[in-house]
Amino acid sequence: MKREIVLKVNGESYQVYVSPEKMLLDVIREDLQLTGTKKGCEAGECGACTVLMDGRPVNSCMVLAFDAVGREIVTIEGVGGLEGLHPIQEALVEHGAVQCGYCTPGIVMTAKALLDSDPNPTEEEVRKALAGNLCRCTGYVKIVEAVMDVSKQISESPELREKLSQSQEFGAKTVGR
Amino acid sequence: MGYAVVGQRVPRVDAREKVSGRALFTGDMTLPHMLVGKVLRSPYAHAQIVRIDTTKARSLPGVKAVLTFEDVPKIPWNSAGFPPSPGAILMEDQYILTDKVRYVGDGLAAVAAVDEETANRALELIEVEYEVLPALMDMEAAMAEDAPLIHAAPQNVMAHMPIVIGDVDQGFADADIVFEDTYYVPKVYQVSMEPCGVAMAAPDMDGRVTIWTSTQMPHLVRGITAHALGLSTSQVRIIKPPVGGAFGSRLGVVNEPIAALLAIKAGKPVMLKYSREESFLATESRHPIKMILKTGIKKDGTFTARQMTAYIDGGAYATHTPSFAGPVAGWFLAMYKSPNIKVDNYSVYTNSTQCGAFRGYGNPQVVFAVESQVDDIAAALGLDPLEIRLKNHPCAGEVWMWSSWVIESCGLDEGIKRASEAIGWGEKRNKQERLEYAQGNGITADSTKKRGVGMAYMMHVSGARPMLHETSAAVVKINEDGKANLIYSNSDCGQGAGTALTQVAAEELGLNYEDVFITKTADTDVAGFDIGSHASRQAYSGGNAVKKAAAAAKEKLLAMASEILEVPAADLEVAEGMIRVRQEPEREISVAEVSHKAHFGSHGHQIIGAVSEEPPGNPPVYAAQFVEVEVDTETGVIEVLKVVAAHDVGTAINPAVVEGQIEGAIQQGIGYALTEEYRYHPGTGKPLNANFTDYKILTAVDMPEVETILVEASSESGPFGAKSVGESGLVATAAAIANAVYDAVGIRIKELPLTPEKVLAALEQKGN
Ligand code: FES
Ligand code: FES
Repeated sequence: MKREIVLKVNGESYQVYVSPEKMLLDVIREDLQLTGTKKGCEAGECGACTVLMDGRPVNSCMVLAFDAVGREIVTIEGVGGLEGLHPIQEALVEHGAVQCGYCTPGIVMTAKALLDSDPNPTEEEVRKALAGNLCRCTGYVKIVEAVMDVSKQISESPELREKLSQSQEFGAKTVGR
Repeated sequence: MGYAVVGQRVPRVDAREKVSGRALFTGDMTLPHMLVGKVLRSPYAHAQIVRIDTTKARSLPGVKAVLTFEDVPKIPWNSAGFPPSPGAILMEDQYILTDKVRYVGDGLAAVAAVDEETANRALELIEVEYEVLPALMDMEAAMAEDAPLIHAAPQNVMAHMPIVIGDVDQGFADADIVFEDTYYVPKVYQVSMEPCGVAMAAPDMDGRVTIWTSTQMPHLVRGITAHALGLSTSQVRIIKPPVGGAFGSRLGVVNEPIAALLAIKAGKPVMLKYSREESFLATESRHPIKMILKTGIKKDGTFTARQMTAYIDGGAYATHTPSFAGPVAGWFLAMYKSPNIKVDNYSVYTNSTQCGAFRGYGNPQVVFAVESQVDDIAAALGLDPLEIRLKNHPCAGEVWMWSSWVIESCGLDEGIKRASEAIGWGEKRNKQERLEYAQGNGITADSTKKRGVGMAYMMHVSGARPMLHETSAAVVKINEDGKANLIYSNSDCGQGAGTALTQVAAEELGLNYEDVFITKTADTDVAGFDIGSHASRQAYSGGNAVKKAAAAAKEKLLAMASEILEVPAADLEVAEGMIRVRQEPEREISVAEVSHKAHFGSHGHQIIGAVSEEPPGNPPVYAAQFVEVEVDTETGVIEVLKVVAAHDVGTAINPAVVEGQIEGAIQQGIGYALTEEYRYHPGTGKPLNANFTDYKILTAVDMPEVETILVEASSESGPFGAKSVGESGLVATAAAIANAVYDAVGIRIKELPLTPEKVLAALEQKGN
């Protein structure tokens, strides 16, 4: 039986009618039409569907939409848009770390969660954090370089640190729709 | 050189839309009243369908179309994306849906319904009765005298390709030593992160059908789809949005005909998206091949005879396979010079999913065998592994036997030199120095972990000429603001071709990179005929057409500027959007002003350059890949510590894009070497690992350090000297790892992947 729930996504509240079996990923893509979050396996194995739930990265294909009620959800559309890209996104562009781009939204979300919680990770920690985000194009080389570069920028720039420490607002201000 | 845009690490044309999640892939799209398509797949590897009843499915509310073999045009076709060419052997043994299933997952019915749930329910309501036949899961079983036939081919051999150069018997007689070894490489999948098989089709009121599809080959897929549907080519329009990785998996038709037929029958748009499991089950993989190599050689390292007998497992349908046997022979023939060479290639049907293209197109398979054996030969003869390769590889000025054309440029020797230095080859191959090095890393003589270094080399193509046509078309139009559109059938699947071609156009026009806009989406109703993304051809073949179209536009631009400035056009040059008199740079006029005058002056016209042609050649690229591994002799686990990849790509149009191609290909190559193998139950033919938990690709944690070295031995015929890079990073990786394992622990494993079980078994055998 479909039921009405309210989901808070990118700082906005959405009322949706969904069945209890429906996964958060499908609600995000189909009901909210936020198609930046990708589907690569529907089995929690690839990370293409990564979104933030209360600041932590989750595979949205493994989360029931009903279980996301009351949580703060951020998708790729909430991280940067026409108003400007997030420094992680800028770095991925600059380093040539985007190829087909299908894994990229998930990578951005995981990297954001990592740098939000630890702005100065080691390369090994970056790789560990990204281990659930499969990429078949890049060999991860330039992705890891880009994330390490942002971390360096953060440590060198107090303003950037300040801006990113309010990352929730950064998300809320740049809602996709 | 001194180029302004070529050679620069400019950001990709599509990076910002992708990094922000704004890029719309095919699977992100919807149309009003769009239906969901689903395919009913066979649970058996080999069976005749004796009865199929769709009555219940058809009467389910919300079901708008149900198709079986009965409903598909009785036109046999072949899914491989080949242009009709001398080298294309296209056996037509497929229908849109089948009445005899030939692998687990073969499509026998399809439905379109208002939503996914209804479509799935409809599939369950289709009743099928099968007469099950024996599953022929390997080539031996398929080629047995009494084996049932998968198609009509006797003993299930779809083709035999013999090639003889010189006299190998004489060559073996002339040899000091003859080596004979058998190698086997398994079935592996491209696994692009966007599952393979996503198409949205919409019929229109004019008898045409538009298909948005994640493809590498918009124009060829248009032709094949039209043929399968019984339409003429122009009745199908293919639109290719961003593609989530391809690597060969989308090199031809995937599921476009099913989507289109559902849409036509339902009279509504249909989205047909394969799940991850379906993209394993029902789309083309790399070919498993058994290769028997026989090589005769003199003590000084001169080859007297080289011979390969290859059994190519094509799976359940011919698709690429009989043609694919050609390049397989070509890779082998062309690697090392020898007066006597013989190849015998057998292409075989089995009850596994049909095989097609995967980055390298037969080259990773052949190079694994050849480079493993050459390493053994060097060791047996006491020759330096680098020397034997330097001595015998074909070089610039010599004929490359793959194409029978003269090699334009060769950067291999420099690549081998630089890469060997970067990996520390000298020290690490020297036993004494290596011991000290190992001790420096905390590894003692009795440590269970052993390190070794190995290398392998490869050559690859820049297109498929003269075997296949390599047509590309480009239109460059200069707008009234002096910026330009590049209209091109942009089949970029993430590799960066669209970016590189934009750079070529900007360089030739003398415009800034930011002022040239390529059509990011390919549309067969808009762009001229293009072969698509295969054979690492886009930079070279596409680049050739783009450069010429830009040159044609530039010629008209300068002719007009010459009238305005009253100097001969030959005295003008254009850079960064400004046209200047070469000797008097202060006399200048902007491209914008000239173009504005063209549009709105006395003879209104737009400056346009258009070209459609094939490129002049097919310059081979070279790579030398060196790896260091650590083998745990207790667990059998191989860890790759570092890969150094030296690639002669010709001019690197965008070094960041080039590096990205090599780095990504190495991830796939290490997977091929160590972890990737798609497996079936030998009795039932059911796939055992159609998911990411059991089919293991490398994660960020698994990837070693990668160092790329670009050797830019520019070609004469390529755009600004470019050759290619798309596939080559994968090709030599597995062989280099196998050779490093041999260096570390002295075992030679002739079957990929190099699993811990195989390592332990080989170590035990060596110990005894
Ligand atoms: S789609 Fe969710 S992890 Fe793959
Ligand atoms: S860029 Fe293609 S999967 Fe990561």
